[in-house]
Amino acid sequence: MYILHPGMQKKVLTEQALYYGDVAMPKDWDIDRDKLSGDILQSVIQNKDFPFSRTWDMLNTYMRDHVGLEYGVNLVNKETWGNIYKPGENTIPLLNIDPVDLRNSPDFTLLYGVKVKDCMVRIHFEDNRRKGRSWDIPLKDNMFIMFPSTNMYYLTNNQKDSLNFVQTITYEYI
Amino acid sequence: MAHFAKLGSNGKVIQVLTLNNSDMLNADGVEDESVGQQYLETHNNWPAQMWIQTSYNTSGNTHKDGGTPFRGNYAGIGYTWDEDDQIFWPKKPYASWVKHNESASWKSPIGDAPALTAEQISQNEDNTHIWSYVWNEANQSWDLTDSKA
Repeated sequence: MYILHPGMQKKVLTEQALYYGDVAMPKDWDIDRDKLSGDILQSVIQNKDFPFSRTWDMLNTYMRDHVGLEYGVNLVNKETWGNIYKPGENTIPLLNIDPVDLRNSPDFTLLYGVKVKDCMVRIHFEDNRRKGRSWDIPLKDNMFIMFPSTNMYYLTNNQKDSLNFVQTITYEYI
Repeated sequence: MAHFAKLGSNGKVIQVLTLNNSDMLNADGVEDESVGQQYLETHNNWPAQMWIQTSYNTSGNTHKDGGTPFRGNYAGIGYTWDEDDQIFWPKKPYASWVKHNESASWKSPIGDAPALTAEQISQNEDNTHIWSYVWNEANQSWDLTDSKA
């Protein structure tokens, strides 16, 4: 609560926070992105769940630990999967909540750049009556973007040569 | 039971875990921090050198059972590991406060708060007042306050 003027006060009821940055692992303990991209490829080709691995666990633990430490947000895992985006591909708008089952929907969506090149993420949000606003952020290798799962988003692979590998992890917070 | 603090790359404590003493015994059957670090690296996916043992019974560089204090304070999430002084530091309470290694605590630039007078202590005990000194960062002084007033 912020006192602006005697008798005049402000209370923030909700906020839409986005967290992003590089995954700064300790020296010689970088995330093995070759392993992750291989696992993504395997899960996509075989149409199977994304396999658990030490590498994925390192990423997941890093995110949970650091978001908890820096922002006091305690995250609990919901789901994870990997995607491969073709050159020039523009995804359909993506939404990771089920509007008719919010109880079992995640709070946050995390995107991690496994192997990406010229990849753009557009996150849609509403600012009260100002609907349809968006925020663009490039997703790079070893970079993460975490945002509320109620926000629709889409990814664009802007170049014509290579595939983009992106890991998604969804969380709820307690 | 041993306790180890997990450090982030900036030296901040991310997490504190317990470890069975039997998991940190070396070949001679003696507890060895490096064995515990290696165990934690294997089982927690985080490099051995970023696990630092901490003492549950140490606070303010004092061991609560009269033993030898170990690394200043029991580490907590958000504490900072000071490798040079071998101390876990809590968050700095005020910008002007400085480290006091002997007590592993932060001190105001003008020292500790003055002691309460006998009369103030008596009033606190009678519960008619709650006198205490509160640090005033703007004035760099200890202000006597009565939180019951």
